[in-house]
Amino acid sequence: MAQTPSSEARAGLKLISPPALYAILMLAAPLATVLVYSVLTGERGRVSLPLTLENYYDLVTRPVYSALMFRSLTVSFFVTLATVLLAYPIAYFVSFHVAPSRKALWLFLITIPFWTSYIIRVALWRTILGYDGIFDSVVMGLGITDTQPNILSNGVLSIIITLAHAYAPFAVLPIFVSLEKVDRSLLEAGQDLGESRLMTFLRVTLPLSLPGVVAAVLIVFIPTVGDYVTPELIGGGKTPMIANLMEVAMLKQRDQALGSAIAVAAMTIVALISVFFVLWNKRYLGGRK
Amino acid sequence: MTFSADRPTMIEFKDVHKYYGDYHALRGINGTIKAGEFFSLLGPSGCGKTTLLRTIAGFEDISSGVVMIDGKDMAGVPANVRPTNMVFQSYAIFPHMSVAENVGFGLRRDPRSKAEKAQAVAEALEMVGLKGYGNRAAHALSGGQRQRVALARALILKPKVLLLDEPLSALDKKMREHMQVELIKLQRQVGITFILVTHDQEEALVMSDRIAVMFEGEIAQLADPETLYRRPATRKVADFIGTMNFIPAEILSESGDKVEVEAKGLGRATLDISQAPARTGETPVVGLRPETLTLLYDGQPAAERETEGVIDEVIYFGDMTYYDVYLGGTDVEVRLSMRNVPGRPVLEVGAKVRVAWSPQALVLFR
Repeated sequence: MAQTPSSEARAGLKLISPPALYAILMLAAPLATVLVYSVLTGERGRVSLPLTLENYYDLVTRPVYSALMFRSLTVSFFVTLATVLLAYPIAYFVSFHVAPSRKALWLFLITIPFWTSYIIRVALWRTILGYDGIFDSVVMGLGITDTQPNILSNGVLSIIITLAHAYAPFAVLPIFVSLEKVDRSLLEAGQDLGESRLMTFLRVTLPLSLPGVVAAVLIVFIPTVGDYVTPELIGGGKTPMIANLMEVAMLKQRDQALGSAIAVAAMTIVALISVFFVLWNKRYLGGRK
Repeated sequence: MTFSADRPTMIEFKDVHKYYGDYHALRGINGTIKAGEFFSLLGPSGCGKTTLLRTIAGFEDISSGVVMIDGKDMAGVPANVRPTNMVFQSYAIFPHMSVAENVGFGLRRDPRSKAEKAQAVAEALEMVGLKGYGNRAAHALSGGQRQRVALARALILKPKVLLLDEPLSALDKKMREHMQVELIKLQRQVGITFILVTHDQEEALVMSDRIAVMFEGEIAQLADPETLYRRPATRKVADFIGTMNFIPAEILSESGDKVEVEAKGLGRATLDISQAPARTGETPVVGLRPETLTLLYDGQPAAERETEGVIDEVIYFGDMTYYDVYLGGTDVEVRLSMRNVPGRPVLEVGAKVRVAWSPQALVLFR
């Protein structure tokens, strides 16, 4: 019987080997390639030795890179904030105020935006936010302003609005799941022990749903930092973010080494911020003690 | 019973009704619970006992009627300002807090200093036998410990009424019996009115000063444990509390304070009117508890009456033996219990025996 664990482990390895191989090929190998490329010299679509830190030196010294990285992080920060703040009440409503038999239907309805291609949704936001668009007409029709606000002319703001709309459903689901796991008798206990509904929410429901909020933050923050399509389509490329810069380096300048360095730098920053956020959350907001 | 009936009223129900849609969950509850009383709501699942408890706590609105706590009408008073605290069936321990944070949860608006509150928490933990557990993680506690935390968390707020929703049902038998005794001691120590919801009749008998037996949203009988056991008001109550033999009977005459009956297999007996609770219109039967029947061994005379019988089944329990006996040439079977003391061999199936009984132990349901 002593051999059972090792033979089980072997069987387990055999079972996971196809997906593991796939993951190595599709994830680890490209990642390694990018890492290696980033310390080579790139020219005319080729990379060559010797090893150099020139690319990283460029990133640090030329202000355009840090400016666009900062813009990407700012956009992501506000998109994450807006998404989580909007998603929490929706998740709360579905979890606490929708009859159990109807919950699946509600979650299904929340996914409706995914039925339309993202490109089309971005185009629709252009129509809504653009000069004399739907938003302008409504605002002016109500007599709130005399001139067209033309939000689309503010690249960062329109990118934030568009991305926040796109990612809201992603944030609703993890928060919903964590709220579903909150034992309802805990809420009665909170009230029984003298707290109002609001205080019970703040002291019981909210802390217990934080794992879902953390998941939502990561799910929204990480991909939006590297978003490429939205700045390209919303601002007509006039408000580029870090991913657009990567494209320029890779495809326009044909400097794959520099492009790789930008990718590695962006990845590192996002990873650091995410890890820091998770640790901070554990330390100060307290998960389960 | 140490309980005295002249204590002031703590809780009063006046014709309380509760509907869930068409479902009539509480059907006119009346009654009072005295201050300092250990009171139990006993009944099978779905009888409305938990609903009634939750109307006291303020978690359920009532459809009509009045619930008074300490002389105040509770209509429109939310749960968080009622002078009651609850020990939930699931214990509802906050999993994201330590034991001390759980116990101190309700002290947020208490004007005392932090140190005084910490002291109060430590005292509450000591009272429930969890001294030094304050820093433990709540989710790492055993079932019995969780229950103690729930008790400390409720009692630290010094409520007028402590509500216990089947608090012992999740514990194993040994632990349950241990906690029953602890709860009784605790209740005497703090002097707070305890209201216990349980479906376990034995638990209710052991722990309570008085018990309300509920069936289908109504209180069938509200009495102290001894009355409930010895003089159940209806056949249903008698059947729910402990074991009772029901023997078909015929009422021969009823005059003043005496009722004369002819019970199948037992014969004629004259009962005091106190042995015959109010009529409910059912087919007359007399009830007999197993321990009021005795098997007579050779040469042993009956104290009052005796009847021939044949043993049909022997159920050996160690300290006791239960016998199912056919009464004298009839198909009426009664269960009787005998202590297994020296000189009393366990008899075998088919043995002819004499069964002693007393007319005073009979209860007539009609």
